Amino acid sequence: MTVQIGKQAPDFSAEAYHQGTMKTILLADYRGKWVVLFFYPADFTYV
Amino acid sequence: MAAVAVKYPAFLEIGAEVLTISVDSAATHRDWHERELSRMVPGGARYPMLSDPGGKIGTQYGVYDPEKRVDLRGRFIIDPEGVIQAIEILGIPVGRDVSELLRELRAFQQHRKTGELIPCGWQPGKPTLPEEEAAKKIAGKIWEVWKPKNAF
Repeated sequence: MTVQIGKQAPDFSAEAYHQGTMKTILLADYRGKWVVLFFYPADFTYV
Repeated sequence: MAAVAVKYPAFLEIGAEVLTISVDSAATHRDWHERELSRMVPGGARYPMLSDPGGKIGTQYGVYDPEKRVDLRGRFIIDPEGVIQAIEILGIPVGRDVSELLRELRAFQQHRKTGELIPCGWQPGKPTLPEEEAAKKIAGKIWEVWKPKNAF
């Protein structure tokens, strides 16, 4: 599947750290909201 | 990601959720958050920091670099229907501009609310162009209603 403007964002579930707790995040749970998804190379680096 | 953490209130203000994601484990995110991010930014990162082991999700989004084994700096604006509205992918040495991202989010929200078309360099308060049907009527005459200086 390729991502394209105007097409559905691929759904996923991922383990996450969020304000002191570990949880599972599902992109599908964010329907109804604007979402910005930021990928980045690694923790402990700049930016 | 510290710049995003600093600007997080601006995202909340316009009703946008932030998710960050790298190949690091959730435990590494916790360590980084405790040891560094929370010292750089008061309150730290208040959004979920997602783990993408092996770059599986990055691969789905076309940002995983299998040689370096990391997700590149890809940034996706996803609308309330789950549809991708904007994509930016940067090479590893260069960081992003959070202000430009917020501008794009506000512009997409403005279009969604009013149907207006959003010219380049638009900021809230600056002129927009009429919605698509009306815009067709002024094709070739946009120079009369919109000046390039509006873009800066």
